Amino acid sequence: MTTPSLITDELRAQIGVEQETLLGEITLLDIQRYALTVGDLNPLYFDEAYAKQTPYGGIVAPPNYLTAVITWGVGPQEGELSRDGLGLRRNEQAEGNARRRMAGGQELEFHQPVRPGDVVRCLTRTESMEQREGRSGPFVLIITEQRYVNQRDELLVTCRQTAIMR
Amino acid sequence: MTQAAPPQQRLFIEDVREGTEIPPLTKHPTPVTLFRYSAVTWNAHRIHYDREYAQTEGHADVLVQGHLHGAYLVQMLMDWIGPRGLLKKFGWSNRRPGFAGDTLTCRGRVTRVYEARGEHLADCEIWEENQRGEVCAPGTATVALPSRG
Repeated sequence: MTTPSLITDELRAQIGVEQETLLGEITLLDIQRYALTVGDLNPLYFDEAYAKQTPYGGIVAPPNYLTAVITWGVGPQEGELSRDGLGLRRNEQAEGNARRRMAGGQELEFHQPVRPGDVVRCLTRTESMEQREGRSGPFVLIITEQRYVNQRDELLVTCRQTAIMR
Repeated sequence: MTQAAPPQQRLFIEDVREGTEIPPLTKHPTPVTLFRYSAVTWNAHRIHYDREYAQTEGHADVLVQGHLHGAYLVQMLMDWIGPRGLLKKFGWSNRRPGFAGDTLTCRGRVTRVYEARGEHLADCEIWEENQRGEVCAPGTATVALPSRG
């Protein structure tokens, strides 16, 4: 029996395409709300006088902050969200038989800390999509590479991300 | 709000060798934690805040976000290396779901100490496990540490 392909033509068309996303200015409030929610009260994220005495020279964001945010910008309206709340209703068809999506993980490289006031953009490229056979049926591994740069075109973080669609 | 930790470095490359254990970090994510983490990361995925929906996908309760597993591991590493250490690389994968109400403990150990491009580096294996000792999120990290010498 042949397993039906979960990778539709529309999905396949995304491979190799680079997209640029403007994240805008990263504020002190953004950074601190994120760290507080994690329960990470490291003074590097909260205490300017403390952070100034360290090689960081001032408050920075938790290293994985930029890559933890799912949607930069306003995102879709509620009525445009797919049933799982994650995707877009209009893409549900394009995503064919794959209905559930999970974050597989990330490989991050940190080049420079992110500071309040940085204006950041992200360059994303889908590297590959591969269908595999798991215990509970077929799934697709989607690997994307993201590069985050600041207003001086300095590389901040690179991220190789694996998403699982089943 | 802030910790009383001194800005002086507490950990040096001379303090670590293969097998050195990273002080563990224990976290207790609640439904409020997960709701707020979805909010600050603008993540509308219903499995993290809608228990009934999560059950339709076969989960017992609302799920800890994959990125929150990562964030806990980062917190353990940043606490350990201190303000003069640098996190150079970090990776993890989400292997087993965590749920609101779980006790999640991050652990790790040094696997290699070496020098490269003038930096003193330590590679580490890290993982986050639940209250039953099951690994939810294994990973690796490379940190740079100052030298006493």
